[in-house]
Amino acid sequence: MATESERVEQILCAVRGGPESRATVTYAIDLALETGARLTFFHALDAEFLGYATIGPLSVIYQELQEMGEFTMLILVDRAQRRGVEDVDYVVSEGNVREQLRQVAIRTEAEVMVMGRPTRSPGSNVFQLREIEAFAAELAEEGGLKLRLVPLEV
Amino acid sequence: MRVSARWRPRLLLGLVALATLLLVRSGAGWAQGEEQGGAGNRHLLIGHVYDGKGQPVAGVDVTARTAGESELLAEAETQDDGRFALSFGPDVASLAALQIQLQRPHFQDTSVRLPSETLAALQSGDATVMADVELVPRITPAFWLAAAIFVLMLILIAVGSIHNTLAALVGAALIFAVSYLGPLVTEDLFIFDFARALRYVDWNVIFLIMGMMIVIAVVERTGIFQWAAFMAYKLSRGKGWLLMIILMIIAGVASAFLDNVTTMLLMTPITIQIALSLNLNPLALLMPEVMASNVVGISTLIGTPTNILIGSFAGISFSDFVVNLTPGVVIAMVGLVLYNQVVYGEELQSSAAKGALSPMLLERLEKRGEIKQPGHLRKAGVVGAAMLVLFVLGENFHLVPAVTALMGATALLMWIRPDIEEMIEAVDWTTLVFFIALFIAVGAVREVGLISLLATGIGRLVGENLLLATMVVAWLSAILSTIVANIPFTAAMLPVIASLTATIPGAESKVLFYALSVGAAMGGNGSLIGASANMVTAGIAERAGSPITYGYFLKRGFPALIVTVALASIWLYIRFL
Repeated sequence: MATESERVEQILCAVRGGPESRATVTYAIDLALETGARLTFFHALDAEFLGYATIGPLSVIYQELQEMGEFTMLILVDRAQRRGVEDVDYVVSEGNVREQLRQVAIRTEAEVMVMGRPTRSPGSNVFQLREIEAFAAELAEEGGLKLRLVPLEV
Repeated sequence: MRVSARWRPRLLLGLVALATLLLVRSGAGWAQGEEQGGAGNRHLLIGHVYDGKGQPVAGVDVTARTAGESELLAEAETQDDGRFALSFGPDVASLAALQIQLQRPHFQDTSVRLPSETLAALQSGDATVMADVELVPRITPAFWLAAAIFVLMLILIAVGSIHNTLAALVGAALIFAVSYLGPLVTEDLFIFDFARALRYVDWNVIFLIMGMMIVIAVVERTGIFQWAAFMAYKLSRGKGWLLMIILMIIAGVASAFLDNVTTMLLMTPITIQIALSLNLNPLALLMPEVMASNVVGISTLIGTPTNILIGSFAGISFSDFVVNLTPGVVIAMVGLVLYNQVVYGEELQSSAAKGALSPMLLERLEKRGEIKQPGHLRKAGVVGAAMLVLFVLGENFHLVPAVTALMGATALLMWIRPDIEEMIEAVDWTTLVFFIALFIAVGAVREVGLISLLATGIGRLVGENLLLATMVVAWLSAILSTIVANIPFTAAMLPVIASLTATIPGAESKVLFYALSVGAAMGGNGSLIGASANMVTAGIAERAGSPITYGYFLKRGFPALIVTVALASIWLYIRFL
């Protein structure tokens, strides 16, 4: 894995939390252990896919998605703690993913953001590679945030 | 007009109660309709109009005139069963001849001279039945336009670029635009008028779905789905294969009484949590679950929208579905369980021993499995049980399922007095509008003769072979349901199936309708877009980092389609053929 020559105090790991996030989470945990930084997992609630489906009340569904998101993040927190990361927490937020991610990055004052590298077909990722690089450049310009993109398997 | 919050609860309850009363009255009217209407001192001439397929033709203008003269003596319109009754005054006795003229858009004008013996019988004062009249269809430019609009609507729904309801509304609006503006150019562009279009809307379906939506809205807030899934987790004691079977049974049974989409919306998040807790691939539980949901839903009248459509159109009752389809569904479900053991067995076995959940996570999971509203659940259970009894027994006293659903919904609302604003939101009005617009669009292609033509084509293909017809209907429906939304497909196929049922010896058992039910629902397993429940499950799974791609679903779902439709077809053969 890459090493951080600069001092890192806050790492933000934005993942969905399933099997495909395993490599990204491992990278973030290793980085937190190496630098002693605080690790925050971020999960965005996004129910746009329900748009054209026949659905019940959105409040009940959002509550379910919120529960699922929090539980998924708690599993990651548990995993990080078992590996020895002492300072670890999570954020689950609802709304536009890009905007939520920006706000969490600013709020936590993260120096490094770890995300999975988009590899699959359009539509299955929140960001495409070009978009994510542009987004990371914006954040770097605003707050000096560095982006680490982790391939599916490392 | 905006209704104040204070009055909204009363308004909703009032609407539901009014709808119930109207439906009860219409149900009673249905039963009494045959007995009403006396002839008095008038002379009645009764006739029956049908098309080339032997199907009754409704909405035919029937006029009686003196032969060779234009004097109008009597007029009537054929009813849904193709029957008409012309009523003559005493002066009919002096007529030497009588000409009956029949006119209806999309059919050739027909004129029949009443045989002298029939005229004599009419003149004697008895109610007289004349020979059946066959109308010959006429393909007009309206035929092609209606067909094109219907196909466009199907494409819009399949592509998903706009909301299904909007796609159906576009279809209905275009139909009306052609019907009302087209005749300014040529009469041959007329499809049907608004009043005629509304006759194609099946209000029994609309109110049944609305009533069930209210009941489901109450049930889904109680936490019963999450509790059931957590019980599956506890009962399986970490055995992945057992967990999969229990979750399949839960999803299946829930889908038989509630709708598949709601079932999967509420089951998917907790299933993902359980899978992650056990270090299992969530898809190894979700795929069998959604497949079971699609298969078992057809065991009852209310389990799938397609069954509601079929039941209402063909007069198949709740208990008919249970008796004639449930055994087949059980057989298909056994096959589906075995199939999923083969496909996911290794993943479920290899991961089974890894599930070491921390106390904090276990506590969280246990909390998720708690019943949130036990009082509401108990009341919903009592009302649900009463509704089941009425669904089963109601047919004995002409109680249509829509009335049962509305009465159940009203009773539940009165009993638990929930936040009525949330209840209003819970009724998926867009779906109800979708069905109304869909009925109009399907009505248009029925009106112009497209459905009849399709029935003729399929009829030629299968001849009078009931076994062949059953297999063609089941498999064709299943395959087409993987690419075409199964609700509009089923709505369009119903008159085709009715036509085949009328012409193929032995089909009066309604086996072809059951075959349509099997194909349309189980076909949903063939592809990701085959059922709304698949799409919802995939959407949630993707947000939890376990994406279900189109290819992944096709690879595992299509063989499941073949297994389940084959087993259900064997049951149909045993039961009916």
